[in-house]
Amino acid sequence: MIIELDEFTRVEGIGKAEIVVEDGTVKEARVKILEGPRFFEVLTLGRSYWDVPDLEARICAICYVAHSVASVRAIENALGIEVPPTVEKLRELALWGEIIESHALHLYLLALPDIFGYPDAISMIPKHGELIKEGLTIKAFGNTIRELLGGREIHGINIKPGGFGRYPREEELEGIAKHAESLVKFARRIVGIFASQEPRGAKAEIPMVTSEYLWGDDLIVGEDRIQYIELDEVPVNYSFAKHTYYKGKPIFVGALARLLLKEKYIQGEAGRLLDTYKDKIESRYVIYNNLAQAIELVYALERVAELSNKIASEGIEKGIVEPEEKSGEGIGYVEAPRGVLVHHYRIEDGKVVWSNTITPTAFNQGMMELSLLEDAKKMYGSVPEESLKKKLEEIVRAFDPCISCSVHFVKL
Amino acid sequence: MKLAVFELTDCGGCALNLLFLYDRLFDILEFYEIVEFHMASSSKSKEKVDVALVTGTVSTQRDLDVLREARNRSEYLIALGTCATHGSVQGSVENAKEAFRRIYGDVKGPTKVLEPRPITEYVPVDFAIPGCPYNKEEVFQVLMNLARGVEPVAKDYPVCLECKLNEYECVLLKKGIPCLGPVTAGGCNAQCPALGLGCIGCRGPSMDANVPGLVEVLKEILPEEEIARKLRTFTRW
Repeated sequence: MIIELDEFTRVEGIGKAEIVVEDGTVKEARVKILEGPRFFEVLTLGRSYWDVPDLEARICAICYVAHSVASVRAIENALGIEVPPTVEKLRELALWGEIIESHALHLYLLALPDIFGYPDAISMIPKHGELIKEGLTIKAFGNTIRELLGGREIHGINIKPGGFGRYPREEELEGIAKHAESLVKFARRIVGIFASQEPRGAKAEIPMVTSEYLWGDDLIVGEDRIQYIELDEVPVNYSFAKHTYYKGKPIFVGALARLLLKEKYIQGEAGRLLDTYKDKIESRYVIYNNLAQAIELVYALERVAELSNKIASEGIEKGIVEPEEKSGEGIGYVEAPRGVLVHHYRIEDGKVVWSNTITPTAFNQGMMELSLLEDAKKMYGSVPEESLKKKLEEIVRAFDPCISCSVHFVKL
Repeated sequence: MKLAVFELTDCGGCALNLLFLYDRLFDILEFYEIVEFHMASSSKSKEKVDVALVTGTVSTQRDLDVLREARNRSEYLIALGTCATHGSVQGSVENAKEAFRRIYGDVKGPTKVLEPRPITEYVPVDFAIPGCPYNKEEVFQVLMNLARGVEPVAKDYPVCLECKLNEYECVLLKKGIPCLGPVTAGGCNAQCPALGLGCIGCRGPSMDANVPGLVEVLKEILPEEEIARKLRTFTRW
């Protein structure tokens, strides 16, 4: 017998799942990504390196900055471009803006209705309007940063190889810093709400992150430092997303993985919150990815305030650094809001001749299935089928899947 | 009035952009009841709707089924975003079957893969709002007009017009930066030239676009093959 879950709601993209039951026992869980293939790797081929980040941004609307930055970092690594420290800092700021926008979207509009038992955030407004408005305010602020640095709320084209098209003014950065500080108190509230969740899903035994907080030249998997090619990618018949394993085991990427492996970065109010809920984070249950996102949202707001002030006081070096070389190979690892994102190109004579992208949701496929399997085993037979389906969908949601991203996972 | 949002294959941005209306989303809710919107709500319905917003390209059999359902259930159907109106990035893939084989090998996938096409090639649409992403002011105005019983008006002028109205320096002629503004439909308020960068053509062709004329100008900056690639990023001309 197969229990079919409906197409997931309150997630980005189109996917569903099925639970295989044989002789009264749950045998298998399959996540079926139905979003059509989007062929980005093919589309980059033959294109000038300059145009590629604008194209790659279109992989995902929720995390276009992460795609732009991963793309420009890969291109810069390939062509020997070294950008000044201000450019690095402004990119970091843009990525924090995106984490704020994306986490706020997930926590307040997509996941919160599960906790309060509503079908959506809109129906929560009569009773919990303040909370939803706080969420929208934080989300809008994240987008203010994306618009300032990326050029638009969605699919901006201002993040270029070698620098930015337009640079922000000092007073714009100071405004961002003040605004960020004022939002920390709202974000604290949401941490407490998500800390109330009961442990569910599988345990993230093998978390994977980039070697620095938001990017790096290596990946850290448990105790090892690796390049992504050391992971195994496996296509499956029932899904447009391939599966990834490290030494035969599913990995986990995202906010929970970051808090587990990058604890030393988290200071201030976020650091205190992480201490308070340390036990839940360290239990590694994937449901606490929600809690991890909430703590990281506080950290993001604090970091944005600090970073914007720093850049404004140091002054901005403008311009775009031209490439030394016209050919080369480079990888860009970036922490998208949902976890590790990989862009990898070979460039010849200024044009991309080979490209590969792997997105966080693709990395998490194996872990998502394991979580569904373990929870279905626990619940099957003891709860009605409708509520089983609902509970399982909540687990999928905790991964904050970004399905559109996951459907082009390729080596050409 | 009843409103539904149907999502086909895309980046999720067109659905997300509706949520980015923030407070004005509440204004829309004064006039519309949202009966289906999978990114935002777990409510599902099979009822008829007054207005359907459809985002994305038809890339799979599932997409085509959803599109036909959307057309049958709705009084007024809006193709929202460049994927739906012109095919956008995945719509520019020349041979999806071959591309699929290169990416996935012999694996079949969960549903039949079709050549990615804009929805306008499959069903008649009542209105189209291009843009990657579309300008959210535009969709707000269109929905408000429809609620008042006013037929919305499409924008048919090129990006160049908005660029000139803003008095931006011409990136193409003054700085020699490739720009598709002269042949691209306006409505974005010339966002890319505002950053000192060239228009990438994300809203698709404008009315009466003089493409050969632009190609002549671009030839002085770019090899012909690159011009073709630039033009075909969001639409098949």
